[in-house]
Amino acid sequence: MSQIVSFVTSSIGRKLVMAITGLLMIGFLVTHMSANLLVIFDPEGYNAYSHALISNPLIYIAEFGLIALFVGHFVSGFAVTLRNRRARPIAYGENNGAGHTSRKTLASTSMIISGLVMLVFVPLHILSFKFGTWYEAAGDPHVRDLHRLVMEEFQSPLFVMWYLGALTFLAAHAWHGFGSAFESMGVSHRTWIRGSGQALTAILWVGFCAVPVYVYFIAGGGS
Amino acid sequence: MSENQSYTIRVWRQDDAQAAGKFVDYDVKDVSPDASFLEMLDLVNEDLTRDGGEPIAFDYDCREGICGSCGCVIDGVAHGPLPGTTTCQLYMRNFPPGATITVEPWRASAFPVIKDLVVDRSSMDRIIMAGGYISVSAGSAPDANNIPVPKPEADLAFEAAECIGCGACVAACKNASASLFTGAKIEHLARLPQGQAERARRAQRMVETAEAEGFGACSNEGECEAVCPKEIPTRVIQRMNRDYIRAYLKMI
Amino acid sequence: MLDGKVPGGPIESKWNRHIGEMSLVNPANRRKYNVIVVGTGLAGASAAATLGEQGYNVKAFTILDSPRRSHSIAAQGGINAAKNYKNDGDSVHRLFYDTIKGGDYRAREGNVHRLAEVSVNIIDQCVAQGVPFAREYGGLLDTRSFGGAQVARTFYARGQTGQQLLIGAYQSLMRQVDAGSVELHARQEMLDLVLVGGRARGIITRNLVTGELERHMADAVLLCTGGYGNVYYLSTNAGNTNVSAAWRCARRGAYFANPSFAQVHPTCIPETGDYQAKLTLMSESLRNDGRVWVPKKAGDERSPDQIPDAERDYYLERRYPSFGNLVPRDVASRNAKFVCDEGRGVGATGRAVYLDFRDAITRLGQETVAEKYGNLFDMYHHISNEDPYSVPMKIYPAVHYTMGGLWVDYHLQSNIEGLFVLGEANFSDHGANRLGASALMQGLADGYFVVPYTLANYLANTQLGDLSTDAEEFKSAEDVTEKRIRTLLSVDGNKTVQDFHRELGRTMWENVGMARNREGLTQALKDVQGLREEYHQNVKVVGRADNFNKALEFGLRVADYMEFAEVSVRDALAREESCGCHFREEYQTKDGECLRNDEEFSHVSAWEFTGADKEPVMHKEDLTFDFAEVKQRSYK
Repeated sequence: MSQIVSFVTSSIGRKLVMAITGLLMIGFLVTHMSANLLVIFDPEGYNAYSHALISNPLIYIAEFGLIALFVGHFVSGFAVTLRNRRARPIAYGENNGAGHTSRKTLASTSMIISGLVMLVFVPLHILSFKFGTWYEAAGDPHVRDLHRLVMEEFQSPLFVMWYLGALTFLAAHAWHGFGSAFESMGVSHRTWIRGSGQALTAILWVGFCAVPVYVYFIAGGGS
Repeated sequence: MSENQSYTIRVWRQDDAQAAGKFVDYDVKDVSPDASFLEMLDLVNEDLTRDGGEPIAFDYDCREGICGSCGCVIDGVAHGPLPGTTTCQLYMRNFPPGATITVEPWRASAFPVIKDLVVDRSSMDRIIMAGGYISVSAGSAPDANNIPVPKPEADLAFEAAECIGCGACVAACKNASASLFTGAKIEHLARLPQGQAERARRAQRMVETAEAEGFGACSNEGECEAVCPKEIPTRVIQRMNRDYIRAYLKMI
Repeated sequence: MLDGKVPGGPIESKWNRHIGEMSLVNPANRRKYNVIVVGTGLAGASAAATLGEQGYNVKAFTILDSPRRSHSIAAQGGINAAKNYKNDGDSVHRLFYDTIKGGDYRAREGNVHRLAEVSVNIIDQCVAQGVPFAREYGGLLDTRSFGGAQVARTFYARGQTGQQLLIGAYQSLMRQVDAGSVELHARQEMLDLVLVGGRARGIITRNLVTGELERHMADAVLLCTGGYGNVYYLSTNAGNTNVSAAWRCARRGAYFANPSFAQVHPTCIPETGDYQAKLTLMSESLRNDGRVWVPKKAGDERSPDQIPDAERDYYLERRYPSFGNLVPRDVASRNAKFVCDEGRGVGATGRAVYLDFRDAITRLGQETVAEKYGNLFDMYHHISNEDPYSVPMKIYPAVHYTMGGLWVDYHLQSNIEGLFVLGEANFSDHGANRLGASALMQGLADGYFVVPYTLANYLANTQLGDLSTDAEEFKSAEDVTEKRIRTLLSVDGNKTVQDFHRELGRTMWENVGMARNREGLTQALKDVQGLREEYHQNVKVVGRADNFNKALEFGLRVADYMEFAEVSVRDALAREESCGCHFREEYQTKDGECLRNDEEFSHVSAWEFTGADKEPVMHKEDLTFDFAEVKQRSYK
């Protein structure tokens, strides 16, 4: 037991926790994004999908799992960041990237910031939608008309901007996080792993942003 | 041969670990472009000495890029603007004439400043102490050719073994992590049949010593590889991660 | 007459039989013995690690911040061993003979044979430690022929053999530090040797960070502090390399042997200006394919590509048709000096010769040349800003290694009991000229395989009384050191330590360099004495004694160089013959080669210090060659 504790609290252990939770969350985002696209292409299908999810009792387990991933990822990340900050108490007078083979990007240097944005965004997002107004679907009063809520929420330009901003932080986080996760797990750095992660991230970003953009500019005529 | 040039250098001056440091500017006139960066500092120091001032303290020894003694952050980059070189291998022709050059020590809590640009890197020795070796006492070795090592493996081991322990990887890392240094030794010995017996213990002890010394974790940005004078690849860090994780899996 | 105490019997079995004769220290008793090891290069690190493994209480000292930085790290070419893995006729005897002959018959036969014997164990030991030597595709070790040797006995790790061997020894040392058997003192400089009852019993050190003087007591002191090449100011040696520890022992009575022997390496990047702090060595493997030449006409200022072959003088090929560009280091260096003295040198200063790869590139193609020497070409390009693929390299000799050192007997013990001297710091194995890839071999042989036996023999046979660092001897040594520091800081003159060092170096290089003569040496003796006097009146060492102060460190070292230089000049004057690196212009053959005088000078000159203003006394150890046939070296 003490060995598990010392492993999980070691920096490699913590990075491993972050890598596994992070990759699982990216996996979740892929399904989440795919389902979101139904808002655009199949509103009824969207409501049916959400109904299928929330009427399945296993959803509680899944939700608990997601919360655990999120909290585990955050706690590990925060602990690692604190340790990292302590490792360099005095900043350089001048600090530039080395270029050359470095993979340092704005995204990689701001992981803690994009992570903290998610810490704020995710609960608010759940409040807005999971715990938002419960409309009954026209055809079946037992089915929630989540589509209507989506259409209403993204009428506000400020809300749309907040979403687009937050999603960009999310994408930045995954842009570095995906490749980094594999390296933390001990998989040798390969350009194709980093590249696929970045391609996936770009797809996620476009897919997630599509809904607010579609609702605000095209479907809702909210101008 | 091109003409001599002048520069301004902004150097971090600090009396000892406890003292507060600050940047001080020095004008350097009439320097040959063929002078090395450290020879330029020598000239500044000789002038300072003649004027009764205290010379700028900096570590150096071989001045041919192999001992790992020298090293400072120059214009915000560990070992300065040229990739794959140590500080002593920089020449003044690598800087634009008239430039202002900022010179700072490695900064990390595991590398306390001793004076000016000199830092205490004994924390890296303690990482090696924790397992960066193969336990073989003099006289007990079998004939060298009893242990064949495939050439590709030997070459990969060599690539990692080239580490000169200068500390630039730590200096360049935003987390002051010693992962490239630690990983290089783990990779070097893990590639060789001789290194297998102690492999798990080595990874575990070295990684945990690095943490206890106050080095940060790896964020996989690869700045370390980009400043490393021997261009040691970050795959050594992934090897370290693998061996460390495996060491615990074996225990459980 | 000094006695080297070489055991009798046939040379092949001397060492093995002697091992059986020497006394041992019971393993349980070893921890009662304290051993000080000064210096952590190949010799020091391997000795400290091995003695630690055996159970002694070891204290290891280095002036650098880590043992891993010692200058052994800079050795490029390789390490010799008589393994005969190539089946090309190598043997212990051949390595022994080559080394004796290469040293121009001025090394001690017994020591050199032992060196050749243990050379094979060194490779085994290093491979077991994980040293990544070059390998063949079959997975076995690769070797190459190096420095003109006729057999491929040189093991190597690209151009970084010294680094890999040192890191191996360093790792073994750190294992012992972790185990608690070795106490490591980094950034500590030995400033005096403490004798009690005529025996070496401790040292005085200065903590280079805090400036504190410390007393360390031991039952034996092992000096592994390298050579004195930096007395020439410019050399291929590292900046911190110095003679002080050895010289402090000499001042306490240890004899300094052959202090004028200094190897000048032929292929270095030439000097460019006064600001220069060191010269960079280019591996001598370059001479395998590069051709050395200068213009036939003095003062020819045309660029090299404008000089047709008929107007070039490939002087090594001309003078030494059978060895050509691959003549040993001393010969190649001397000839470069001669052509430059004739005004035929090239480059801005006229002190350089061309090392030209034009023909190799035509013959082999640029790709093959790049494969063989790419990293060396890049290094040259980087330093000199010229591309050696299109412009011939310019090279000039530079001081590289010093064969002289403290006198030791077969046990590596100096004439002071309890003071052992290992590696480059002693004089024993290389005579008047060292062969390539032999320095690493000697350092590790001494540390791993010789001193562990001979030290045990000394400790087992010597009654050492109890001692504490409060003893009067420690106190007075510390007082002397403290006063030395105080005096130096109080001079406050007009010239920097570097000014003096540069001047001393120039005198030594001009007169005690590649060619020496009576007149120059007599003048040098006066100059060096004058410079030493001026030093103590006009040097400016700034800063304090109680903190990190590089100026003070160097100030103390240069003061020691001043005294050492005088003995070096005297040694060169007294040796009225030419041998190896020591070329006395008065003693040469008709065609300008070394003329040895075996009748009168087949001896080691060991100098006893008698006071800073007094003439040192020379002691001789006769060299007899019962097993190696004495010949005139010829590379014609």
